[in-house]
Amino acid sequence: MFSQYFGHYLLNKEMITSEQLKAALELQKTTHVKFGVIAVDEGLLTTAQVEAVHERQKQQDKRFGEIAVELGFLSNEQVEYMLNVQKNNHLLLAQAIVDQNYMTMDAFSKALNDYKRMYSLSDESFEAIKNGDIDAIVKNIIHLAETEKQEYAQYLSLFVKNMIRFIDEQAYIELNPVTSELKVDWLVTQEIKGEELLLTAIAADEKIFLEIASIYAEEELTEIDELAKASVSEFLNLHNGIYLVNMSNYGIELDMEPQIVQQNAILSLDKDESMNITVHTSKGHFQLVLSKLPKHVVFSSANQENQAV
Amino acid sequence: MQNQLKVLICDDSALIKKKLKNILEVCKCKEIEEAENGVEAVQKASSFLPDLIFMDIVMPGKDGIEALEEIMREQPNIKVVMASSAGTQSHLKKALDRGAYDFIQKPITLEAVTSIIEKVIKGEKEDPTHV
Repeated sequence: MFSQYFGHYLLNKEMITSEQLKAALELQKTTHVKFGVIAVDEGLLTTAQVEAVHERQKQQDKRFGEIAVELGFLSNEQVEYMLNVQKNNHLLLAQAIVDQNYMTMDAFSKALNDYKRMYSLSDESFEAIKNGDIDAIVKNIIHLAETEKQEYAQYLSLFVKNMIRFIDEQAYIELNPVTSELKVDWLVTQEIKGEELLLTAIAADEKIFLEIASIYAEEELTEIDELAKASVSEFLNLHNGIYLVNMSNYGIELDMEPQIVQQNAILSLDKDESMNITVHTSKGHFQLVLSKLPKHVVFSSANQENQAV
Repeated sequence: MQNQLKVLICDDSALIKKKLKNILEVCKCKEIEEAENGVEAVQKASSFLPDLIFMDIVMPGKDGIEALEEIMREQPNIKVVMASSAGTQSHLKKALDRGAYDFIQKPITLEAVTSIIEKVIKGEKEDPTHV
């Protein structure tokens, strides 16, 4: 998760090319940082304990974590934690970039420190971010520092988690300046109402709309038909539904309207009350638009379908 | 899991209808019908007389909670399972108060639907008044 954000930081700083980033992100999928290295790095095991596990592994065909639990060195929860760290560890990106000679290890480390300074991250926040803590990433990296935008943080964190869970594990988001008008091929909107009003919208061109539709429908869709429209709008509906459940657990009862799908839409936004987020996936990007003042958001469309699908 | 159940799917999403129908076919339900919204669901509850309805909540026009209320008034033997992504405390309470049989949180899975069907079949066998 952090790899996506840090990788694009390196790209924006012209430390690596987009081709190199793409290759490194692909490579890290098949790269594994050794369990023992993580355990020591995280302060969970001593090197002597790691050695003891390795010795036992020579005699038994078992995983590192299993043996460490058997020997009483780690709890099952700690092994779970390490698996998560292993999956999200920034070292994967470092390993991929350095192995391919795109950057030296020193340059990579320096860039990592510059990144930490740029976002004024505490050691604790930086650790959380490096380990793929999405809440920490959204809070610290997506510039949600201003009070009014903090309200969106919970929604955005959940959106990223649902994108990763249901659409693309490479998904990451970037906050854009709000332009007053957004013209798009396809627009799916859904209004959340109750104590807090929120208009939510996915705006996408035809290609990425079809990609998301195919992934969520779990079948290859070749044209934007009823099923494709239903698929993207159901993904937004699912996410918003989960958001409502989460808010309900905090004692905030919200409701939502059925989704509306429009083709060739123009979205007019109030700059002060809206957010425009680019959601990057391995198949392309689309916009997620949020607005606290749904009445101030005007849609116009040459071909308004105004229907739930 | 061959069974004699007549099942009505009520959801405004073409995708959910398709996925749920596929699952019900795997479960070998006897007859499967579809409704687009709450209004259609109420009509089909009377004409098709299903044993079981999977009902979405957020739909245009008549929503799932309103439809549930009407169906329970007219056909109290039908088991209505609410299937929604928005399983909020308020929705759960409204659904249970109006006589919903169960609730499934979307995304709908084969396991969740199978478990409901098994429960309905078992309940029917245990309930001598059920025709």
